Amino acid sequence: MCALAFPVLAQGDAKRGAYLAKAAGCAGCHTEVKKNAVLYAGGRELKTPFGTFHGPNITPHAEAGIGRWSEADFLRALRTGVRPDGAHYFPAFPYPSFTQIADADARDLWAYMRSLPPDSRASRPHDLSFPFSLRFLVGFWKWLYFSTGPFVADAGRTPALNRGAYLVGALGHCGECHTARTALGGPKRDRLLAGAAKGPEGKSVANLTPAKLKKWDDHELREFLLGGITPDGDVAAETMGEVIRNTTSQLTPEDLTAVIAYLRSLPAIADEPR
Amino acid sequence: MKKSFFAATAAVVLGVGVAQSAFAQVKPEILVKQRQAKMILQGKYLGPLFAVAQGKAPYNAAAVQRDAGFLDNLTRMAWDGFDPSTRNEKSRALPAIYDNNAKFKEYANRLENEVSRLVTLSKGGDEAAVKAQISAIGKTCGGCHDDFRQK
Repeated sequence: MCALAFPVLAQGDAKRGAYLAKAAGCAGCHTEVKKNAVLYAGGRELKTPFGTFHGPNITPHAEAGIGRWSEADFLRALRTGVRPDGAHYFPAFPYPSFTQIADADARDLWAYMRSLPPDSRASRPHDLSFPFSLRFLVGFWKWLYFSTGPFVADAGRTPALNRGAYLVGALGHCGECHTARTALGGPKRDRLLAGAAKGPEGKSVANLTPAKLKKWDDHELREFLLGGITPDGDVAAETMGEVIRNTTSQLTPEDLTAVIAYLRSLPAIADEPR
Repeated sequence: MKKSFFAATAAVVLGVGVAQSAFAQVKPEILVKQRQAKMILQGKYLGPLFAVAQGKAPYNAAAVQRDAGFLDNLTRMAWDGFDPSTRNEKSRALPAIYDNNAKFKEYANRLENEVSRLVTLSKGGDEAAVKAQISAIGKTCGGCHDDFRQK
């Protein structure tokens, strides 16, 4: 009732939120893979060893999307991986990374998501193999692999390195693909960003630690993250190509510098033996 | 004109026939080097085209046509470099190439077709269409690498 009498000003900044949505690559999972697909109306298939996930509609449509959500629902989803009705999200939704997003950024993201036109595209239910289809089992997975809480800056690191760590670890959620996983789909913590022979979609994923990245100089790495092309005319594999188009090419120059600096600062970890 | 045309055709047909049986005996490590050379040269001519598509280099119709022409030949070369005999050679080629060869061939055909399309478009005046086609080629390269090349 009060909400009608006193229009609630969005606490978040939708313009900042638009940038954060790019940095977090939300469109990648929440948009159909086809020409002129409506952004954030859902549809992307993620084929994993546990079955196929279908990215849901997160436009502010009251039935098809998240139009009935409150800001608190949104913050809770990101921070704890829980739906407004209390059920667990499958960690295909990368809340183990998004939990690190700062409250202020989450509010800006919410303001942006609210500002989008509602779309009625119906979300498809996931198509998972038993027993991975049992949502309550995610509680066990969370106990093994997930701790909630926003990013805490490391006082021993420069602000730029902390910013890079935040962009890579929280928003960019790069580790969701670039960190190898156990058979139960949890991250191998001793292999942070060191790549995987079989990523979430069964394809090999690059090692981002200095063990491999030392082969690239800063200019090459920057050009690659901006355009997806290497100096010798080689092209990013398409899964990453999409990330480059949607996310890394959209970062401010300072943010891209921070990402590169952070990757260079990682402990060098050799590829997993094949 | 007719005589030399038929003579040329006969030479090509016979040459291909002879060459194919010769290829069957080429050592796998040489086949691998040949296919890698093809890829390196594709990159050589794609690099300047990507720069044009991304607005980092000015559009020069003659240069685009020339590079597209080189690519048109290169994309059709050395696919025999992925002969089953090369499976165990050391390279970034993934086993999926051999296990899922039908899909690999689809990507190969797609690349050839997309580059042919670029050749045609590069002779027209539509810069935007040429740039869009170069990006489409980039996605085709990336699509194949995604599934069939070690990262």
